[in-house]
Amino acid sequence: MRGICEFGAPIIAAMRPPSVPQPLPPTARATPAQRFVDWWRVVHFGAELLTLALSPATYGRRFRPALARHVYLDTAPNLLWFTVLSALISLVLIRIVVVTAYSYGLSQFAIQMVVRVLVLELIPTTAALFVALRCTIPRGAEIAHMRSTRQALPGEPVLDEVLPRVVAGIFAVWTLVAVSCVVALVGAYLVVYGFAIGGLAVYTRTVGQVFSPEVSMIFVLKTLFLSLAVGLIPMAWAWTGPWRRGSDAGRELQVLVRLFIVVLLIEVVSLMGNYY
Amino acid sequence: MSEAPETPSAAAAVPHLALKATALLVLMVVLLCGSALYVMYARGVFEPTQRLVLIAENSEGVVAGMDLTFSGFPIGRVRRVELGAEGNARILIDVPREDAHWLRTSSVFTLVRSLVGGTNLRAFSGILTDPPLPDGAVRTVLGGDTAAEVPKLIGAARDLLQNLNTLTATGSPLSESLGSVQALADKLKGPGGALGVLLGNDAERQKVLLTLDRTNALLARLDGLTAKTDAQLFGNAGVMPEARATVVELRGLLGDARASIKKVDAVLQEAQAVGANARVATTDLGALRSEVDTSLRKVEQLINEVNRKWPFARETEFKLP
Repeated sequence: MRGICEFGAPIIAAMRPPSVPQPLPPTARATPAQRFVDWWRVVHFGAELLTLALSPATYGRRFRPALARHVYLDTAPNLLWFTVLSALISLVLIRIVVVTAYSYGLSQFAIQMVVRVLVLELIPTTAALFVALRCTIPRGAEIAHMRSTRQALPGEPVLDEVLPRVVAGIFAVWTLVAVSCVVALVGAYLVVYGFAIGGLAVYTRTVGQVFSPEVSMIFVLKTLFLSLAVGLIPMAWAWTGPWRRGSDAGRELQVLVRLFIVVLLIEVVSLMGNYY
Repeated sequence: MSEAPETPSAAAAVPHLALKATALLVLMVVLLCGSALYVMYARGVFEPTQRLVLIAENSEGVVAGMDLTFSGFPIGRVRRVELGAEGNARILIDVPREDAHWLRTSSVFTLVRSLVGGTNLRAFSGILTDPPLPDGAVRTVLGGDTAAEVPKLIGAARDLLQNLNTLTATGSPLSESLGSVQALADKLKGPGGALGVLLGNDAERQKVLLTLDRTNALLARLDGLTAKTDAQLFGNAGVMPEARATVVELRGLLGDARASIKKVDAVLQEAQAVGANARVATTDLGALRSEVDTSLRKVEQLINEVNRKWPFARETEFKLP
């Protein structure tokens, strides 16, 4: 990380600003080989960004203002809205699940079902997609625009512009997931037991039964990979992706589709880990 | 999106940005650490526990993390399920120390598998004054498998239905019995009635009827005889009034006899007093005789003494040469 701190030659090739834009392909449809090469570039650049993100030098005094600005602007405005929306949807789902479980005489499984459905499955995925739609994909579009117009590229563009957006996206996903999970757990307790604290011991025990070591590990890994995907993929596509024919909105849609496929794969793998 | 999007760096400066970013960071760290601690607390990581090992025939439905309940309250968690050396399932349960006093040496543990819902591990302590269950105790769990009872129930129901089919089949003993009952009912409704059913033919039935007629005539004669006997016994000149007068006379005779016996009793008491006096006199005679004997013995000794001292006493000894 010495090269980064001394602002000399970048230590990774992708940090260099693209001097010559890549030529547009003759057709808009890419071949499978081209798609593979594109994904490989994204994965490679994502790994390099992750390495930079784990380096203490990245959080030096010079980069802190940009980092703090992106972290705040990507998290704080979304936190309230997402928490409110998540709480409303969670309360509706909790009510449906609890009433259905009671009607079938399976009330003892209602809390477990609520915790599994909301906290383990829905909230992390929803938070990741919310952050992607509200933050990282628009930020990726900013990077792509800067790249296309060669705006703000002198200096250390990866450290100054790309990496703060990546770290902000990852941070936003973790914060939204943590807040929403706590809100959902509190809401589930209030729906089932009301404002009495008599059910706290049983509720805590039931939550403990759900969060076995295996399930907890899968939950943490799932949130980690979702946050990495949401933070890295839009920026990596914006920085390394080919400049093919199409509008900015079309490119954003392509990034969203690719990100959605990755999120879906992570969700499927976590479901297999939890229930198979 | 055709226009250049506004970058955060180009946006207006956020007041107290560092402070707000730090607050967000602290919020996230607190939430993550708090959630982790809460899950660890919910999993019972911070509770001092003691180990209980339950031996079951099979561990179907038993998973790590499920509760051991006592009176509906969870008092323990299954930590691990393993296969024992003898092929049995060993269910390792952690019981918090504060709840361990509900388990006694006489406690009974059951493993109940229901058709709908999960498997339940329950503890029953009938005598709470027994010694508490020690740490590491090994107990055999009793099975209450509802699902296992269903095949037995179906088998029993199949046997029952087969027996019913056998009973109700054509030519079965029950069917023949019902036919016989039908024939019997027809006979009962016939001219012979129940008597014909019992005796089998009309000749016997006629004999019974003739016997009944004769019995009726005999009863009529007995009725007249009874009336005459009543007059002889209980009439004015019958036996019973005379017997009553005789009893009165006997009562008077018994009173006289009782007075005579009292007199005899007095005589006997006097005779008893005489006898007592005679017994006392006899006792005095014995003392008198002993005194006379003593006096005579003394006189004899005195005479012997006088004879020995008297100078003319004869020589009564013969001296041989």
